[in-house]
Amino acid sequence: MKSALRAYLLLTPALLVLGALFLGGFAPSFLQSFGYFPAVGMTEPTLSFYREVFGGREFLPSLLFSLRIAFLSSAGAVVFGALLALLLLRTGRGEKIEGALAAIPVIVPHTVAVLLVLNLLARTGLLARLLFASGFISSPDGMPSLVFDRGGLGVIAVYLWKGIPFAAAVVYVVLRNMNTRLWESATVLGASRFQAFRYVVLPLLLPSLSSTFVLLFGFSFGAFEAPFLIGPTFPRALPVAAYSAYIHPDPTFRPYSMVMVVVITFIAMLLVYLYSFFLAGEERAS
Amino acid sequence: MKTHSPFAPLLLFAFLTLLLLPVLVLLIWSVARSWPWPSLLPAAYSAAEWKSLFSASSRLVPVLLQSVLLAGGVTLLSLAASVPAAKALGLLSFPGKSVVEMLVLAPVIVPPLSYAPGMHLLFLRLGIADSFAGVLLAHLVPCLPYGIRILTNVFRALGDRLEMQARVLGASPAQAFLHVTLPLIAPGMASAGGLLFIVSLSQYLLTFFLGGGRIVTLSMVLLPLVKDGERAAAAVWSTLFIAVSLLFCLLMERAAKRCASSRDTFFLS
Repeated sequence: MKSALRAYLLLTPALLVLGALFLGGFAPSFLQSFGYFPAVGMTEPTLSFYREVFGGREFLPSLLFSLRIAFLSSAGAVVFGALLALLLLRTGRGEKIEGALAAIPVIVPHTVAVLLVLNLLARTGLLARLLFASGFISSPDGMPSLVFDRGGLGVIAVYLWKGIPFAAAVVYVVLRNMNTRLWESATVLGASRFQAFRYVVLPLLLPSLSSTFVLLFGFSFGAFEAPFLIGPTFPRALPVAAYSAYIHPDPTFRPYSMVMVVVITFIAMLLVYLYSFFLAGEERAS
Repeated sequence: MKTHSPFAPLLLFAFLTLLLLPVLVLLIWSVARSWPWPSLLPAAYSAAEWKSLFSASSRLVPVLLQSVLLAGGVTLLSLAASVPAAKALGLLSFPGKSVVEMLVLAPVIVPPLSYAPGMHLLFLRLGIADSFAGVLLAHLVPCLPYGIRILTNVFRALGDRLEMQARVLGASPAQAFLHVTLPLIAPGMASAGGLLFIVSLSQYLLTFFLGGGRIVTLSMVLLPLVKDGERAAAAVWSTLFIAVSLLFCLLMERAAKRCASSRDTFFLS
C-alpha cells in the first residue's frame, strides 16, 4: 500500500496535467455535442445535433475518406517499411543508415512533408517534368491529378513518406535482435527462403507490425494539416470538416463541430485500446 | 544474412532515393529564382529568399525566439513531470496501473482537435487564453506521453538496485536521486528532450487554438505559406524548421555525453 501511495505521488504532476487538460479539455466538447453549451445560452441536452450531422450530406463520405486514407497509408507504410528493413539487414548497410532514416520523419513535420509532396507530385511537379522529359505527357494538363484529388493520393503520399522510415526503424530493431539461428535452422531443415520468412520470421514480427499499424493509423486518422492542405474539397477529411464547423462565426453552430470531434475521439480511443493491447503483447514477446 | 545478388542494393537505393530526393528538391527550391515548366532544374538561382529571411524587416527573430522559448520550456516542464511518472510506471506496481498507462498513452493517438476547443474555454476562464503560458501548458498534453514512454523504458532497464544501494550506504533520497539516478538517466532524458522539442515545435492546431494567433511559432508561419503556394518562401522556412530541430537534438546529445563522462561511473563495470 505504501508503494501505491508513493507511485501516485510520483505520478501526480503528469496526471494533473493530463486529467485537467486532456480529459478536462474533452469534457466540454462532449457536452456541447449534446447541445449543452451554457456560455451561449444552450442548456437543453438534445440528440438533434447527432441526428443532423449523421444524416447530413458530408458526414459519411468524410468519415469513410478519413478511414480509407488512414488504412491505406498505414498498411502501405508497414508493408514497405518491413521491406525496407529487410533490405537494410540483407545488404548489411543498416547500422549506418538506420539511425538517420528513423530521424527524418520525426524531424520533418506534416506541413513540410506536404510541401515535399507538392514539389514532387503537383501538376508542374518534378514527376510531371520527368514524364514530360521522357515523352509520356505533352503538357501539365496531361498529368493525372495526384494532389487535391478525391481519392486523397497526395495525403496518402505524405503519410507514406513519414510512415515508411518509421515502420522500417521499428522492424529493423526487431529483426536485428531476432535470433538469426531460428531462420537458419528453418532453412537447414528444408524450408525455402520464402517459407522461412512466412512461418518463422513473420510470426515473430507480427506484434510490432500490428502495433505500428495501429499507431500510424491513429496518426493519420486524426491529423489535420495534410488533408487541410492537399486534400480534396469534397469529401473533406473528418478533422477538416470538424475544424471548419468550429471556426464558424456563430457559436451556436459549435455543437455540429463537436459531434464530429466526439466521433474522432471515440475512434481514436478505440485505437489507443488496441495499441496498448498490441504493445502488451510485444512486451511479453521480448 | 548477406547476399551477393545485385537486386537488393538496387532496391534499397531506389527506396532511399524516394525518401531523400524530396528533401533535396526542397533545398533546391529555397535557392531557385525561376524554375519554369518543364525544366528539370531551375533556370536561375538566387539567395533572395534567404536574404529576405535574414533582413531587418523579417519575422525571423521574433518567430524563432518564440518557437525556441516555447519548445524549450515545454521540453523542460515535460521532462520534470515525466521523470517521476516514468519511475512509478517503470519500477513500481500499484492498483490502477493499466488505467494510468492507457491515460498517459492516449494523447499520442487522440488528436489535439479532441481537447483543444474545451481547453480554450477553460483557459478563457483562467485568464490564460491567447497567452504564451496557455500555449506552453497546452503543449504538455501531446508531449508528456513521449517523455513518459521513453523514460519508463529507461527506468525499466536500469532497475532500482543502484539507488537502493546508495540509500543503504546512507544517502538521502535527494542525494541518491541527484548523484546516482540522474547521471544514469541523463542520456535517456537527452534523447527524450530532443523528441519533446520537435513535438512541441510541430504543433499547429494546438498553438492556433490556444494562442489565438498571437503566439506565432515556426509552424504558424509555415502552414499559410504552404497553403498559399509560396514555394520558395515555404522552402526557406521549412529548411529553417529542420535545421532548428537538428541543432537542438545535437545539443541534447552532446549535453548527455558530457553529463555521462564527467562523473565517476566505475561502479557500473
